[in-house]
Amino acid sequence: MGQGGKDRGEDWRGPLAAWLTARAGAEVRVAALAKLAGGAVQENWALDAEVDGAARRWVLRTDPPTRVDASHGRAEEFALLRAAHGAGVTVPEPLWLCPDAGASPIGKAFFVMARVDGVAAGFRLVRDDTLGGDRTRLLERLGGELARIHAIVPPRDDLAFLPPPAADPALAAVAEYRALLDTFDTPHPALEWGLRWLQRHAPAPGERVLTHRDFRTGNFMVDGHGLTGILDWEFAAWGDPMEDLGWFCARCWRFGADGKEAGGIGDRAPFYAGYTARSGRAVDPDLVRYWEVMAHARWAAIAVQQGERFFKGGERNLEAALTGHVVPELEYEILTMVDD
Amino acid sequence: MRDRPTGDELLDLARDILRGDLLAHVPADKKYQALMVANAMAIAARQMRAGDGPARDQLADLAALYGEAVPDGDPAAACRALYARLSADIRAGRFDPGRPGHDAARALVRAQAAQKVRESNPKYLDRA
Repeated sequence: MGQGGKDRGEDWRGPLAAWLTARAGAEVRVAALAKLAGGAVQENWALDAEVDGAARRWVLRTDPPTRVDASHGRAEEFALLRAAHGAGVTVPEPLWLCPDAGASPIGKAFFVMARVDGVAAGFRLVRDDTLGGDRTRLLERLGGELARIHAIVPPRDDLAFLPPPAADPALAAVAEYRALLDTFDTPHPALEWGLRWLQRHAPAPGERVLTHRDFRTGNFMVDGHGLTGILDWEFAAWGDPMEDLGWFCARCWRFGADGKEAGGIGDRAPFYAGYTARSGRAVDPDLVRYWEVMAHARWAAIAVQQGERFFKGGERNLEAALTGHVVPELEYEILTMVDD
Repeated sequence: MRDRPTGDELLDLARDILRGDLLAHVPADKKYQALMVANAMAIAARQMRAGDGPARDQLADLAALYGEAVPDGDPAAACRALYARLSADIRAGRFDPGRPGHDAARALVRAQAAQKVRESNPKYLDRA
């Protein structure tokens, strides 16, 4: 707590301006640098700059004091943003990367991207109809955005840091979540039941594409007119495209708006239609449903891990501790969804 | 035997005050934390009220599933051990469809999840 956010920002402004000037090829002044709220996985700073006197609104993204293991670092995230931007996905434009903490004007790796206006909070989007514009169009658009992400296919030199695609993404996921559960003492028979079901019903491996793996309400920004940016790329991986559709539609990401099966926003039909129109890929509802069960299992495994941080790390974090108490409803939902 | 008000009654009262009187005085950027505290208190109160009743019920069901006598001693510890065994058996496919005990194991696992939901977030069970 010795280093307040404000103080750090003050210290960074001068060196950062010099670094940005070298990258931009023009005189950059840092007019303001203020830490943005949130950020368990990363730290975001609103960066108001002047480039040759013209105002620019950017975001500086860097690691928080403690990092979540499973997520990509900033250099990898920058590469993913560039790939997505190049594929026409609506993302904040990535500008410059500083991958080397030793040579960094702020003492750690970071990148700078354009600042996008809007609201990301899922609970606000599902309750406030003035956000996101026409809901049917928003869902078609989101389907189209996902299709653009899935047009990125391996191999890619710029994404060589991603682990090679699994031979069988569904079975690989089941094995991964079981291994995670095995690191904790508390048995979770309902979750085990779900994982066994997922193993028994695993679909034949399909295409391998770039999957976002956190494409859901709460992780994109909207304003009063529509979508302004797809966020949170740190879990992206090569995988089965239907996994992203299942994650988006899973009941656990509807923020209580259970009847609106596409992300708590509206019907599935426009989301699927938008996806098919751009990808040419038909959406098999049964396959999406399979990946919705997987979504609950994945979120449950992560939530178990969050709750256990309380014991293993001695971490006094109430939000993580309460995330552990989301596990029961995810398990219950899995047992409701699977019929055998 | 304890004197009243009991722990769960105290938690309920303290939580009502937190949500009713105190919350209005909590700065906007701390409200979410205050609501998390209230939620933690509610979970604790529900678990205190349930006591070891759920563990005893589940232990009886687990013993019946395995055709064994109900173990003596701390029901929570015995329950944990049998749930660990059940988890391993489920993973190994011993309760797959068509295997003996499939329906009973499925019902038992679902009942345990439902009981945990009743303590962690009972409103979820009202959602159709």
